[in-house]
Amino acid sequence: MKILLVEDNERVTQFVVKGLQEAGHTTDHAGNGRDGMFLAASEPYDVIIMDRMLPGGIDGLAIIEVLRKAGKRTPILILSALSEVDDRIRGLRSGGDDYLTKPFAFGELLARLDALHRRAEGVNHETPLVVGDLHMDPLTRKVTRGDRPIALQPREFKLLEYLMRHADQVVTRTMLLENVWDYHFDPQTNVVDVHISKLRQKIDAEFERPLLRTVRNAGYTVTAGE
Amino acid sequence: MTSMMRSSALSLAMGYVALGLAALVLFAAPLWYAWQVTIQEGRTEYLQIDAQRLTEVYHREGADALKSFIDTRVGMQIPGERILLLTDASLQPLAGNLHAWPAGVPATPGNYKVNLGLGDRGIQEALVHVTNLGNYTLLVGRDNALFKPLQTRFWYGLAAAVAVLCIAGLFVGIITRRALMSRVYSIRQTVSAIIHGDLKHRLPTHVNDDELNTLSRTINGMLDQIELLVHGVRNVSNSIAHDLRTPLAELRSRLEELSLIRPSTDETYAEIDGAVADVDRVIRIFDALLRLAEIDAGMRRSGFVSLDVSDLAANAVEFYEPAAELKSIDLTFRSNGPLPVSGDPVLLAQALSNLIDNALKYAPQHGSIEVAVQKHGATAEISVSDNGPGIDELEKAKVVQRFYRGDASRGTPGVGLGLSLVQAVAKLHGSSLELRDNGPGLRAVLILAAEESGSLLRETAQTQPSPADGIAPSTLASLP
Repeated sequence: MKILLVEDNERVTQFVVKGLQEAGHTTDHAGNGRDGMFLAASEPYDVIIMDRMLPGGIDGLAIIEVLRKAGKRTPILILSALSEVDDRIRGLRSGGDDYLTKPFAFGELLARLDALHRRAEGVNHETPLVVGDLHMDPLTRKVTRGDRPIALQPREFKLLEYLMRHADQVVTRTMLLENVWDYHFDPQTNVVDVHISKLRQKIDAEFERPLLRTVRNAGYTVTAGE
Repeated sequence: MTSMMRSSALSLAMGYVALGLAALVLFAAPLWYAWQVTIQEGRTEYLQIDAQRLTEVYHREGADALKSFIDTRVGMQIPGERILLLTDASLQPLAGNLHAWPAGVPATPGNYKVNLGLGDRGIQEALVHVTNLGNYTLLVGRDNALFKPLQTRFWYGLAAAVAVLCIAGLFVGIITRRALMSRVYSIRQTVSAIIHGDLKHRLPTHVNDDELNTLSRTINGMLDQIELLVHGVRNVSNSIAHDLRTPLAELRSRLEELSLIRPSTDETYAEIDGAVADVDRVIRIFDALLRLAEIDAGMRRSGFVSLDVSDLAANAVEFYEPAAELKSIDLTFRSNGPLPVSGDPVLLAQALSNLIDNALKYAPQHGSIEVAVQKHGATAEISVSDNGPGIDELEKAKVVQRFYRGDASRGTPGVGLGLSLVQAVAKLHGSSLELRDNGPGLRAVLILAAEESGSLLRETAQTQPSPADGIAPSTLASLP
């Protein structure tokens, strides 16, 4: 992915650019609002990471509004220390696609960028999902692994569907809470892990090759690769 | 003195005095007018009768008889009582007590008010009546000064009334001011004690419910609330300091040890992961606090929608089911169908999730937890009951305090904000959290105002976006 990072804090920039590089993405960086606006408007990016409070006279939300008015539809993730609900609402209303508050875990940022990118490419809700020998048909709601049918509870189905739609990507616990349960808060205990291990029992337990894997310090991924 | 002038009690009294004066003038002016008119008319009539009598004498007995009659009367009367003058056609005096025809009085019949200028007889202003009798002219008059004492008395009376009114007003004003000042002074003293940090003081109140007393009571209520808040803030800052110290101390020693020992790469990474977990704990505490502050500020009331608590509770139970299974706890849900309330779906879900989370923490292995949604008249009750150790009666008030952790919770994960968040959410919804005895165990009941069912289904559908179409903002970075 080609990513634009508009961020004035040097440490955050260094941390994010290095991480994205290691994940195989190319990153352009703008340290102030003016440069950010110029780059975002002139270059084609897959995803833009936008800080809210920027030097240079133009703040992040203003840039987003200008870009959206100019017809740019590049997915934008807002990265900000402003964490109150009103701030998030303002950020998303201005045209941002996702909102992540500082401090953040890098895994969370990466997972959200992947999800945004994937979403921008378009999701077909009708085509069957396939990961290795695991098949899911969203229309008939049938799940099979190899030739063995797997019976799932509705919520387990939703969980697996989300994971399979983001196959080969890391999905964080927060993303799962938000998208599978619509819980926009931290339930303190590791309930998501328990759900995952139950799901794992059903899809992986009797098979040699596990598909649902835990990614340390980040979350989970469904993948057929190594 | 300037403070005297600015005193509201005094200016109020002065206002009343001015009002009294105005009323007095309004009362006296028509009276004065009526009196004057009556006197004038009475005197004129009197003079006419006098003149009439003299005219009769003239007609009956002739001019000479009239002259001697007038002379007799002038001789008999007290000087100044009556003015009589009979003149011939050229206005030369023939009889009477005036030496000459008074200047300024025409010789034609009528009533005139004239200044006779007879200082020696004490006559200044007089009312005269002039009559023509053949070749003679008769003037009958009366000194106005006769009525002066009465008028003077009237004016004196009026002045006395004004003086009494002013003095009484001033007096009452000063007394009221003094009484008021003494009460205001005591209020001021209390308030300045409070300003200097002693929140224990309260304004003095009396049994009677006058304006100041009502105000004092209201202010005392406000002070109670402020004291509670300040106390809370003080407690919270202490607790924050304490709770943040622990993970920060761990983090510090971990990093220091790393730098001192310089262990193998694998071990170093493990230590770094540990350090990240420490930092995440600190972030978690901050996030919980920010959320509480947000709820306390009532900022989220704008997010209220009509929602089905029964559905909300069912989802929460389903969410915790696997965690309960893991501990072999029997988690059951009881509801009598949809129950609409108006509220914030995210916060209510979080509150309920905190209650279930708590119950899971304290219920024993193979224990049981029941989540029930019931309608009780106009209220919707969501209860979470467990058969754990419960909460001691004495501790019930404390467990909802921020950062308070009961004895039973030592060694369990959590930062001690769970129940205070539930309490804050309940408060935001204008409802309450009740901690009842479940014998054994705790029965936490969230009481909300039930809504009349109506357009419920459509609205709840709107508030719960399907996972495919929304990546919504997250509250916390996901923790490893």
